[in-house]
Amino acid sequence: MTTGLQTLILGLALGGVYALMAIGLSLTYGVMRILNLAHAAFMVLGAYLAYWALQIFHIDPLLSVLINGPLFFILGVSLYRLLFVPLAGRPRYTEATLLLSFGLALGVEGLMGTWWTGIYRAANPVYATRSISFGPFYIPEGQLYATVISVGMLLVLWAFLQNTRIGRAIRATMQNRTAAQIVGVNVEGISALAFGLGMASAGISGSLLSFLFPFFPGKHWQWISSLLSLVVLGGMGSLIGTVVGALLLSVASVWVSSILGPTWSPVTFYAALFMVMMIRPQGLFGKKEA
Amino acid sequence: MTLLNLTRAAAPARLEARFLILSGLVVLLLLLPVLQVLSDGHNYVLHVLMVIFMYVALASGWNIIGGYAGYTSLGHPVFFALGAYFSGVLLVYKGWSPFWTAPLAGLLATIFGFAFGLITLRTRGPAFVISTIALLLLARLVLDNWEWVGGSNGLSLPMIGWPYRFYKIPFYYGMLLTALAAVWVSYRIRHSKLGLFLRAIAMDEIKAEVAGIDTRMCKVIAFAISAFFAGVCGALWGYHQTYLRPTIFLTIGAAADLVLINLVGGRGTVAGPVLGAALRVGLDELVVNQIGSTELNITVTGILMILIVLFFPGGIIGALRERGRLPRLLDWD
Repeated sequence: MTTGLQTLILGLALGGVYALMAIGLSLTYGVMRILNLAHAAFMVLGAYLAYWALQIFHIDPLLSVLINGPLFFILGVSLYRLLFVPLAGRPRYTEATLLLSFGLALGVEGLMGTWWTGIYRAANPVYATRSISFGPFYIPEGQLYATVISVGMLLVLWAFLQNTRIGRAIRATMQNRTAAQIVGVNVEGISALAFGLGMASAGISGSLLSFLFPFFPGKHWQWISSLLSLVVLGGMGSLIGTVVGALLLSVASVWVSSILGPTWSPVTFYAALFMVMMIRPQGLFGKKEA
Repeated sequence: MTLLNLTRAAAPARLEARFLILSGLVVLLLLLPVLQVLSDGHNYVLHVLMVIFMYVALASGWNIIGGYAGYTSLGHPVFFALGAYFSGVLLVYKGWSPFWTAPLAGLLATIFGFAFGLITLRTRGPAFVISTIALLLLARLVLDNWEWVGGSNGLSLPMIGWPYRFYKIPFYYGMLLTALAAVWVSYRIRHSKLGLFLRAIAMDEIKAEVAGIDTRMCKVIAFAISAFFAGVCGALWGYHQTYLRPTIFLTIGAAADLVLINLVGGRGTVAGPVLGAALRVGLDELVVNQIGSTELNITVTGILMILIVLFFPGGIIGALRERGRLPRLLDWD
């Protein structure tokens, strides 16, 4: 019972971070039907920047969230305008953007490998190795902070999507792009904004990643496949689904890791992906395709 | 009437010329190892050509699902590794030559591809590519931890027992035959009903479905066929390398190679992957081996991919055809 609860606590503590990592993927797919394979590459880039900030300027990774967020937002909007806008209106748009983002991921990976070499790194602020215990349970301090920040960010995003005009425009575009355009939503502007927000989530979660998990340039493939697996589980294009998928799979992966060892915990994500594709291809919260 | 007769007479003749040139080229390639028999010192040429043949076979196979049907697969290295390990294990434990087991390795890859496709090609759209990345990483994890096939240290295979002067020749012929078979199959599919269905799927899958095409089966069959050639190439390449290691086969970089070759040559065309493969290996020999392989390789691959998607979405073949400059020699569609 205690070990079960402990697994649940550790799983939920990571689930919030996974949800923040994946929400950007879900947003860009929902608004623009762009499957951004470079999302995790930018996440790892964010982790390197946070690592640098700590090593050179002694900026705590929790604070570098404030740098990475705006920085990656601007980067995202620029990349969208530079690379993805020219593809608009092409036949087979999703496929073209998929290949484009694949190229982008490889490009970023190679640059990171050139700059920081391929060795494992991890930022180690003081709290990275400490943990807080209450009764028979414990929670690593770093995970606690990361989760608090992630949940905070997700709540801000949720409030923004629910209560502002622009947020409503984003949700409208997700539901039906053409209809949104007809009622006067500036779909191009919304798309750039959504891509920027997606990238900002990658940058912010990169800061958190820097002290939660060791990373190296090629690591982002494992991340992207885990994140995409949980997005598919939740239902592609559903933000609620992504959060639920993240929580389910993080608990499941912590549980698998406690039984089979951490080597096999990524298998949880792949197994879930294949099972969803067999049983319910549209995912938990996805609408059945027309 | 005379006009019709004239075109009838003219068309086969032009086809003949192209046919003659291409079969001449094939005969030339078939005879090339004679050089090595007559005098030593041509192993390098045979080696480079063999690698080109391998990429021709791999990329032509990939093109059947990734080009014709428009479903990008990053999982083809798994079939390559499957073939390599299958034939490698049979060689180590049973002593069976991979030259005999390579077709079986291809068949195994086909069956595996068929089963995997049944699961992951049920839906339309980009969920498929996600599943192929997951497959690749899963296979890597399994092979890294499976001690019976050597784990992450890999498996050493006995060398082929031929004298050094001739040992490239069987691999050369093996890869050449595989490449010819792959291009032939690709050509036949392109000019068949299945090929038509696949292109319809790539254009607009919903409309294809409405038109009564069993899109799921078409995609699964295309994926299974394309896995065959990866399996055969894997079996031969593993034997040639004399060691199998998960890090050689199961990388996203290897998958990216196949995507890039097709993008450069022209995705969805028969000649595109052939042209792309020749360029890929040729440039590798000329440029990369001079500078040395670095992380920048990956960057260049990525940047090339972006530029092609933005400016030459049809690759070389597509760009030439758009301008009406495609020589008939390369127009195999």
